Amino acid sequence: MGSISSAFDLISGALNADQAALSIVANNVANANTPGYTEKVPNWQENDPIQINGVQYGDGVTETGASSMRDSVLSARLDQQQQLASASNARLTALDGVQALFTPDSGSSGSTAGDIGNDLTGFFDSFSSLANSGTPTNNAMREAVLNSASTLAGNISNAAASLSTQRSALDQEASGVTSQVNALTSSIAQLNQQIQSTSPNGDAGTLEDQRQEDLSQLSQLIGINQVKTEDNGLSVTTTSGQLLVSENSSFQLTSGSVSGVTHFFVGTADITSQLTSGGGELGGYLTARDEDIPSALNSLDQLAYGVSTSVNQLNNTGTDLNGNTGSSAIPLYIFNEPTQVAGSALAMSVTMTDPSLVAAAGAGMGTGDNSNAITMGKLANESLMQPIATTDFGVSQNLNSSSGSATSSLQVYDSLGNSYPATVTYTNQGSNTWGYSISVPDALTPNTSVPGSVSYSLGTGETVNPGTSLTITGNTSAGIAATIAAPTVTSGEAVGTAGPPATGYVGALDAQIAAAGITGVTVSSTGGVLTISGALTTAGSVIADPAASANATGTLTFNASGVLVSPAATVSGITFAGLSDGAATLNLDWNLNSANGFGTVTQTAAANLQSGESQNGSGGMSNGATPIGFFSNFVSTLGATVSGVQAENTAQNASVTQLQTQNDALSKVNLNDEAAAMSALESSYQAASQVFTMLNTAMESALNLGTETAVS
Amino acid sequence: MRVDPSYSSNLVGALDQSQLNEQQLTAELSSGVSITSLGQNPVASGENVLLLNQIQQDDSFTQSSSLVTGQLQVADSTLGSVVSQLTQAVSLAISANNGTMNASDVKSIGNQISGILDEVQSLANTNYQGQYIFAGGQTSTLPFTTSTTTTPATTTYNGDDDVNHLETPTGQKIQLNVPGGQIFSGAGTNNVFAALNNLVADYSSGTVNTAQAASDTQALGTALNYVSQQRVVVDSSITQISAASGAVSSQQTQLTTAQTNLMQADFATVSTQLSLSETQQTALEDVIAQMDSQTNSLFSKLQ
Repeated sequence: MGSISSAFDLISGALNADQAALSIVANNVANANTPGYTEKVPNWQENDPIQINGVQYGDGVTETGASSMRDSVLSARLDQQQQLASASNARLTALDGVQALFTPDSGSSGSTAGDIGNDLTGFFDSFSSLANSGTPTNNAMREAVLNSASTLAGNISNAAASLSTQRSALDQEASGVTSQVNALTSSIAQLNQQIQSTSPNGDAGTLEDQRQEDLSQLSQLIGINQVKTEDNGLSVTTTSGQLLVSENSSFQLTSGSVSGVTHFFVGTADITSQLTSGGGELGGYLTARDEDIPSALNSLDQLAYGVSTSVNQLNNTGTDLNGNTGSSAIPLYIFNEPTQVAGSALAMSVTMTDPSLVAAAGAGMGTGDNSNAITMGKLANESLMQPIATTDFGVSQNLNSSSGSATSSLQVYDSLGNSYPATVTYTNQGSNTWGYSISVPDALTPNTSVPGSVSYSLGTGETVNPGTSLTITGNTSAGIAATIAAPTVTSGEAVGTAGPPATGYVGALDAQIAAAGITGVTVSSTGGVLTISGALTTAGSVIADPAASANATGTLTFNASGVLVSPAATVSGITFAGLSDGAATLNLDWNLNSANGFGTVTQTAAANLQSGESQNGSGGMSNGATPIGFFSNFVSTLGATVSGVQAENTAQNASVTQLQTQNDALSKVNLNDEAAAMSALESSYQAASQVFTMLNTAMESALNLGTETAVS
Repeated sequence: MRVDPSYSSNLVGALDQSQLNEQQLTAELSSGVSITSLGQNPVASGENVLLLNQIQQDDSFTQSSSLVTGQLQVADSTLGSVVSQLTQAVSLAISANNGTMNASDVKSIGNQISGILDEVQSLANTNYQGQYIFAGGQTSTLPFTTSTTTTPATTTYNGDDDVNHLETPTGQKIQLNVPGGQIFSGAGTNNVFAALNNLVADYSSGTVNTAQAASDTQALGTALNYVSQQRVVVDSSITQISAASGAVSSQQTQLTTAQTNLMQADFATVSTQLSLSETQQTALEDVIAQMDSQTNSLFSKLQ
């Protein structure tokens, strides 16, 4: 049977529990606006009942602490979405800066300044005006050509400079993120340790609030994945898996300059590209820095290169007001002549200061002729000059005064960007004539630095071309040296693998070695590199000499003064077939300027875009568009990028808002709920107090046996 | 169901968005331009570049054509004067060779023809804005000079045969000049100066070789006809330029209309959108104000 004393215990426990719960509610109200705070609710637990004489009696209630209103899956989802939204937000801000440089011209007279589209039109129109004026000798109109050229070059160069500045600013912003990330990862590691020691099996309340807040902030900075570990710990990696926090250890993000831009490392691993695609503010900065701005700069470079080279070349071949035509020694260049596509926009400037040097007249025409000005004006509607791989080499020796022979070496490039050492050999044939021969040697030469083996490097996926002069000498099992001629390969045959079963050319060569009884010689192929090991000797190569066209050889004829008279200018159609890449034939033009000047080998079938940078003066206009068409395409593409990122950002922000709303609904302190709880707890506390009072009265009556006494 | 207690921050976000929208619309109204950044309409931005380019090319052509028409008109009127002079020379030559004139009169006519020769040479050396218009491409070289060291005197053409063309935006080529060598020193009997020099030689002594003078007079007549034919080329160019200029102006008008439609703000639509946006903003502000004026939790009811 329960007693009054036990009722006292029970109700005082209830009063304690109510006080504890009121304290939790008060804490909720106090932290209603604390960032990262999650609402706590009191945990009530009914005390185990007491059994007396077979009858169960309740034993009151205990308040066992507070639980956080947290949904870790929802929080992680919110963090992930926040990463995407932060990335697109940072990228959009950068792109807004980029597009501000190319504000569309409304067409009204006041809005034309700084518009490259108008500048292009104005520049080419200035040639048309010069031509169509009927007086192409007019100095004012020539001056107008140079003025519009300056405007165009200045605006392209300024735009490129602004883009470079924006890129540097983004680089600095990106660099600044490092310390924030490190502070947060250190904090998370520290919190991990505390949480694991205090609450390995349950919610750690405030500590976990702080950790979640850190994760949320980290998500705004970089793209992360979070993985729960044992004892309520947490590992944090980048979205591509680079460990940043492992339980109580954090790995510092460091930054350093690589090729002039900031790269990011964890330990020695360069994780810049991972961070770029990962998300977060840093991902947005890096995407803009490494993709969007370089892409815009590249377009401007292509435009500047195309315009400068096209215009310079035409002006150089026309006749200026003084009756002169440009030469290699004194070229009639209007713009600074670019040597390569990269950097052309920034370097674009007008080098011509004398308007009389504008070659309005055609070659060999009178100075009043306008045909070249018409042609230059029409460049506005013609494809920009395709940049081509050009290799300059000096015929610096005066062949006329040399005797015997002379050679010049140069590097030429195939369509994969592989370079080959071509040689021009001159042979004195007497009577002021020299024979010349341009040759490209074996595409693949054995690597003789490895004793006992020979390798031929072929790129992955490349094929062996027809023709072989390779011989391999090795010992038979009887110790007798035997030599085989490597089998002839068929066109396009793959290098193959050693197997088993051996395939491709490796297989064919292996079979022939086995048939000749040669032992100790193995043929293998790793990563496209054909290796022959253990041979006594090898001679020749798998690849035959590239087949040269007939005009790779010829005769140079000079007059008595040493001036080249034949061929007149350019030897075209010098081709070499059968190079290692099996791609387009290497195609060269040989420009002969003068016997004492410099010849230029020009590649007309140059490299593809991927390998453009590896070539001297190469690149490639992507679409062969007209200057204005190219610019129009550029602004459309840039606009579409901005518009795309804008739409992406709007959608991501909406998604973040929804998730945030869901999360707030669950975790944020709701003052209505707190007021209701407060009211309920107050009532329950009052009731408990009342019960206590009544128990006290009952106890008093019991002690005094129903008589009013002093005991009260 | 639990709700997000911080819903007022969402309202503030909506208010920010509404204000941004209003800013954009107000900018469109004040500038009259509907596309102020590439991202707003990438396709229209690209199209705008092409349209403006074509409009400016047309504009440039229209300006050039009016300039060059002036030059062609000078050439035309010069050749008109040449034709008059040559017609007069032919009359004089015929009258001097009709056998009725004495030596003095013949000599006088010879002097008159010599004067016409000088006049024609002067006309052939006409310049426009400092450039000789009948010198082919050698526009800074005096096209015709006469040497009197021979009899008859010899007039030499110092220009060349270059012909300049004007190219219309549609690619049509219109001839801008006729080289003086072609007009005045053509092959065979089309040589004005040779015919005039011969006639001067024929009549300057007062003694006339009738057959020679008749032949030379006939040659001058042929040369005169040839000059008239060359003048037709100039007239034809003027007509062609006028037609091309008209066509280009008309095209320019169409293109300008297209460009305006593409880029300019539609005031009615923008004003409506602005009005809607303002209404939305006012509503949002009212809601936020209403919420602020109320004590927005149950705590206010607790005693």
